[in-house]
Amino acid sequence: MKNILVLLFIGTFLSSTAQIETPGPKQASKILLLNGIAHLGTGEIIKNSAIAFENGKLTEVANAAAIKIDFKQFDTVIKLNESQHIYPGFITPNSTLGLTEIDAVRMTHDYAEYGIFKPHVRSIIAYNTESKITTTVRSNGVLLGQITPRSGTISGTSSIVHFDAWNWEDAIIKKDDGVHLNWEGMYNRWTGKTNKNYDKSIANLNTFFNNALAYSKKKVHEEKNLRFEAMRGVFNGEKTLYIHANFIKEITEAINFSKKHEVTKLVIVGGYDAWMATDMLNENKVSVILKRVHSLPTHQEEDVYLPYKMPKKLFDAGVLFCLENAGDMAAMQTRNLPFYAGTAAAYGMEKEEALKLITLNTAKILGIDNLVGSLEIGKDATLFISEGDALDMRTNNIKTAFIQGRLIDIDNHQKKLFRKYSEKYEE
Amino acid sequence: MRKIFLFIFVLSSYLSMAQETFNVNGAHNTNHNYYAFKNATIHVDYQTTIEKGTLLIQDGKVVAAAKNVSLPDNVVVYDLDGKHIYPSLIDVYSDYGLALPKVNKSGGHVNHSKQKQRGALGWNEAIKAEVESGKLFKVNPKKAEELRKLGFGVVLTHQQDGIMRGTSALVTLANDKANAVMLNNNIANHLSFNKGTSTQGYPGSLMGMIALLRQTYYDADWLSKNENADEFNISLDAVTKNKEMLQIFEANDKLSILRADKVGDEFELQYVFKGRGDEYQRIEEIKATEGKLIVPLNFPEVYDVTDAYSALKVNYSDVKNWELAPYNLGILAKNEIDFSITTSDLKDKKVFFKNLRRAIKSGISEENALKALTYSPANLLNEYDRIGSLEKGKLANFIVTSENLFAEKTIIYENWIKGKKHVIADYNVLDVRGNYDVNLGAKIYEVKVTGEPSKLKGSIKIIGTKDGKADTSKVKVTVVAKGNTISLSFNPNDDFQKGNIRLSGTVSSNTGIWDGNGQLSNGDWIKWTAIKAKSDKKKEKKDEAKEEQDSLFIPRIQYPNMAYGFDSLPKAETILIKGATVWTNEVEGILKNTDVLLKNGIIEAIGNNLEIPEAIVVDGTGKHLTTGIIDEHSHIAISRGVNECTQSVTAEVSIADVVNSDDINIYRQLAGGVTTSQLLHGSCNPVGGQSAIIKLKWGSSPDSMQIKNTPGFIKFALGENVKRAGGRSRFPQTRMGVEQVYYDAFIRAREYKNAWDNFAATPKKKKATAVAPRRDLELETLNEIMNSERFISCHSYQQGEINMLMHVADSMGFMVNTFTHILEGYKVADKMKEHGVGGSTFSDWWAYKFEVNDAIPYNGAIMHNQGITVAFNSDDAEMGRRLNQEAAKAVKYGGVSEEEAWKFVTLNPAKLLHLDNKLGSIKIGKDADVVLWSDNPLSIYAKVEKTIIDGAVYFDIEKDAENQKANQEEKARIIEKMIVAKNGGAKTQKAMSKKPKHYHCDTVGE
Repeated sequence: MKNILVLLFIGTFLSSTAQIETPGPKQASKILLLNGIAHLGTGEIIKNSAIAFENGKLTEVANAAAIKIDFKQFDTVIKLNESQHIYPGFITPNSTLGLTEIDAVRMTHDYAEYGIFKPHVRSIIAYNTESKITTTVRSNGVLLGQITPRSGTISGTSSIVHFDAWNWEDAIIKKDDGVHLNWEGMYNRWTGKTNKNYDKSIANLNTFFNNALAYSKKKVHEEKNLRFEAMRGVFNGEKTLYIHANFIKEITEAINFSKKHEVTKLVIVGGYDAWMATDMLNENKVSVILKRVHSLPTHQEEDVYLPYKMPKKLFDAGVLFCLENAGDMAAMQTRNLPFYAGTAAAYGMEKEEALKLITLNTAKILGIDNLVGSLEIGKDATLFISEGDALDMRTNNIKTAFIQGRLIDIDNHQKKLFRKYSEKYEE
Repeated sequence: MRKIFLFIFVLSSYLSMAQETFNVNGAHNTNHNYYAFKNATIHVDYQTTIEKGTLLIQDGKVVAAAKNVSLPDNVVVYDLDGKHIYPSLIDVYSDYGLALPKVNKSGGHVNHSKQKQRGALGWNEAIKAEVESGKLFKVNPKKAEELRKLGFGVVLTHQQDGIMRGTSALVTLANDKANAVMLNNNIANHLSFNKGTSTQGYPGSLMGMIALLRQTYYDADWLSKNENADEFNISLDAVTKNKEMLQIFEANDKLSILRADKVGDEFELQYVFKGRGDEYQRIEEIKATEGKLIVPLNFPEVYDVTDAYSALKVNYSDVKNWELAPYNLGILAKNEIDFSITTSDLKDKKVFFKNLRRAIKSGISEENALKALTYSPANLLNEYDRIGSLEKGKLANFIVTSENLFAEKTIIYENWIKGKKHVIADYNVLDVRGNYDVNLGAKIYEVKVTGEPSKLKGSIKIIGTKDGKADTSKVKVTVVAKGNTISLSFNPNDDFQKGNIRLSGTVSSNTGIWDGNGQLSNGDWIKWTAIKAKSDKKKEKKDEAKEEQDSLFIPRIQYPNMAYGFDSLPKAETILIKGATVWTNEVEGILKNTDVLLKNGIIEAIGNNLEIPEAIVVDGTGKHLTTGIIDEHSHIAISRGVNECTQSVTAEVSIADVVNSDDINIYRQLAGGVTTSQLLHGSCNPVGGQSAIIKLKWGSSPDSMQIKNTPGFIKFALGENVKRAGGRSRFPQTRMGVEQVYYDAFIRAREYKNAWDNFAATPKKKKATAVAPRRDLELETLNEIMNSERFISCHSYQQGEINMLMHVADSMGFMVNTFTHILEGYKVADKMKEHGVGGSTFSDWWAYKFEVNDAIPYNGAIMHNQGITVAFNSDDAEMGRRLNQEAAKAVKYGGVSEEEAWKFVTLNPAKLLHLDNKLGSIKIGKDADVVLWSDNPLSIYAKVEKTIIDGAVYFDIEKDAENQKANQEEKARIIEKMIVAKNGGAKTQKAMSKKPKHYHCDTVGE
């Protein structure tokens, strides 16, 4: 019980001195968080909890009253009050964080490569660990993300990172986790008219997959095709195929397509109409990364709250799904990801189940649940403490966060300006 | 009778001396013979019919139309026994014989100071008041024939190009020289909300078009009164001259009719409106315009909705309109609106009668349909003394039909124009189409005759046996019918005959029975007869039965006519909300367990244990009651453009002119607790357009949504959007330039005011001869700002520019009311406080432009702490319905108290909009605009249960669930109908989802 108070304020302490947020040092001390309300991300909640971690891994997750704690073994014990909450770090899938800085300034964009079929293009090497946006995102509890390219039919290959790194290599949680395919829309996005190129585009896509699959059956090629090499994982189980599709017909065609082409793991991204295809999704073990909950309905006569209610619909049908944030101003809006889960809870889901949609479910779908996504012994100590319910903007207030056991600096440019100008007016 | 005859003779001999100005090549071919049409059913006008009457014409005019007419000697007589004569139809909305001018559409987006047109015309190419269609008109035989085939004889035609289009000409559809077909020139003046071929940028939006129209009227008026004007302007000269004529305005839809009417009212002009056919959706307001209408018959094609998933894509409103569009004419007639029918807008003119019959089945009487095609258009043009009926002395413009004009199988035989015959179908050719039993004595064949009367096709189904099984084969029959003779030739190749059978005979005009002699392939002669098959007669009866059913359908029009539209508008009720947690926004703060009474649209009482027997009681236990959310910055509910980007200063345009009551987002905002929105112009220009402030009274007309008797607002904008908009060549391109735009504008505005002040101060004697300064709508609006009659909401981001505008305002003597967005307001909060300006900001947006690099979510809190009136706004239809959550972010970022944070989206925007005297808090006497929430309204878990405006419930979560179900059922019911129509052979269009445009500040274009 050496440094309780010090640590509680360390976040603020760091921020008032450091100019630029700096990655935290490797966890050297053994840390115990005591008495907080722990939301495990598994659906379980422990009110008077004891959460311990060392060397970046969780070593204890228990009810403080139910176990005997040897305080001597910890270097730091952080005693929380009973209204403080502990959450596993939230995960943002299908994100362009670190690939863009300013929406209207093209030169700050690194998510849209030229071309149609680009599975060989990898987001990880363009991921900017110094993005100013990321610092504003993690201070709301979003600590991990799947960095995903955009544009073209196959936009490229994503990787999963944590948000406290010196460089992209340091940031990797899972490298090259999946290939992203934008399913050709059957209707024009702007005019609403039927897309005349649809059949042709799908034919081209079939040709590409036929060739990629055939290519992958032979292990070594004298003359390598970078695109097809990048596709190997989609057929041998190393990579997930993420198909971005929203309209029901597109979703069903996408599922049939991936079956036909021996895709090992398929995830539907967007999935506006996924709630209408739940049987098919379940039968084929296809999970869904559901589009931004805070959206308008697509059709005039739809339930005005339909996007808010979709999580409950998918949950009731037993589909494995999580929430994403792509859309307008996506990078910056990532800090509102927790509130999408909050809305899912407001519109029918149980709160701890809603929490899973940005923690454990996301980790499962991305294939990183062995490392992150929940507060379970053996997993990374990637977690944060909030003064109140983190899914509600009214109470979300994060004071301390750890990534792999490292205390991270949750300060940011915006907080600094807040302090700077608050001080100006205090003079 | 003799006297009459004598009179006719005198008249005609006078007429026979008619002369012409053109030289004649060869011998003159004068012909003053009479033509008589006997035994016809003569529809003299739309309501008078003479059975077995005679029409007598001479020299292109009607001499008589009566039961008995004694015929002169030199008469050609036609026996039209069984046939009908109608006055030919009139289309008053045509571009017949006119082509659009050829324009080189290269650039010219912004720089309109260069005059591209030749001649001393006005500055704006969309104002073509000087165009005289009569001078451009050229007879077009192909187009004329197309219209003649439909029974039209006369059209009013104009070049359909531009906002002011100039005058039209009345022409017949005869193939003759232009001088012979033209009946009248400069008969009406035409206008529209369509720029046409103009290559100029301005106006780039509907509101810009309205502003341009108004300014043009003022300019023309000024110029006409100003003898010493330093300019001659042919366009404006024409505007003044044309005002004396009939005014025909092409409005693109029902709401634009109302918009055009408002312009008309301002200038004491009553327009005739050419509509789109959706007038039934706003019939009361349209009737109140007192304008006559010209309506097309272009009913939407049926959507192909056989695929359930594709059907999802078709908007509910499009489904509804498909069903109801044919009822439009009937509804217009029922409401006693004077209207004419036009063929315009029909891509395929051939569907004209098909659609007209659909309209008749859907409620308009045949009499009214004929009226709208004859009397009404003629009367509209003040030409009923010449056209529109067959009374004596009128032009001999008439059509000869086989039966009632509106009957399904009717044939238009002849179209006479000024006494000249145009044959469409030879009535000597009997219409023998149908199914017949042809009896050859030993054998009966069922013959089906189809095709055009002049080119018939026939077939026989032969039922025989082949390899022991029943076998059907189809055999072609050559059918030729001319006059009363008919011949058939076919080879059945069956047990009866292996070779050709050739039959010749006659058709009885009375019974329709065919009989005659024929020859078999072996040369044997036989007798044959043919009568209509029984199956044919049955089918006709069935069709009639179906039609009757259709007429029983009562169209269900919703307000607005789309999903979630009301069947009747909600009314203010006496509502008592009991036991709620009431966020008063007043010194009382948040009151627990309190009752609030709403009565007559206002908040009547706040207290405990209120008992009002007549009130509807709402249990508020465990719930929160607040005043309605006010969105200071919204772009929902706007038609055809949120920005007039084309000039740096567009103070003359107004969103109030283009409010769109049919935006589903109005309902969606209600579902998020919003009751009032300021619909702002976009951020294209330093001085943008005027705002509309509306209450979200879903279902009401645009006009009744707007809050009246309150100061106006105007959008200003700074920063990147202003620099970026309007292309690379529009001034300003930098913040430096923006400042100078303001100085220039306000200095001009001051000079303008001085000019008017000087004029007002002119001594009375001199005043009579002095000319008033030109009214300038732009500068007038800027003066409203300087007179504190209109207030600025200025789009702004960076501190430097914010500072700048306050300096401009201080030095020019006006106030900035609100900085909207104001993301760096926290940097200059002290200066803002000093200037007295409010801040309406985003809760947490940033990183979308370079200029928002320093935007922080603590902005609201800092400004608030400095004593500035702070609001959070949406600028976005999606966020607009979650503004309660955005308010919560003031608590999260910067620690504003919940009570104060809530005011960011209610009382504070009310103050910024100068509406806090009636909106923004729960206080006795204020408007009953309240929202009932399931939870603390700042919480993500809070849901709207009721949204009440002026004491009327506009959103109710339970009703909403019912509406959803009703929507689904209604759509399904109509889809059933669509599938029946499709299977019945109706032309289909692919399912598509017409997307309403979502506007943001920086949306350019319509």
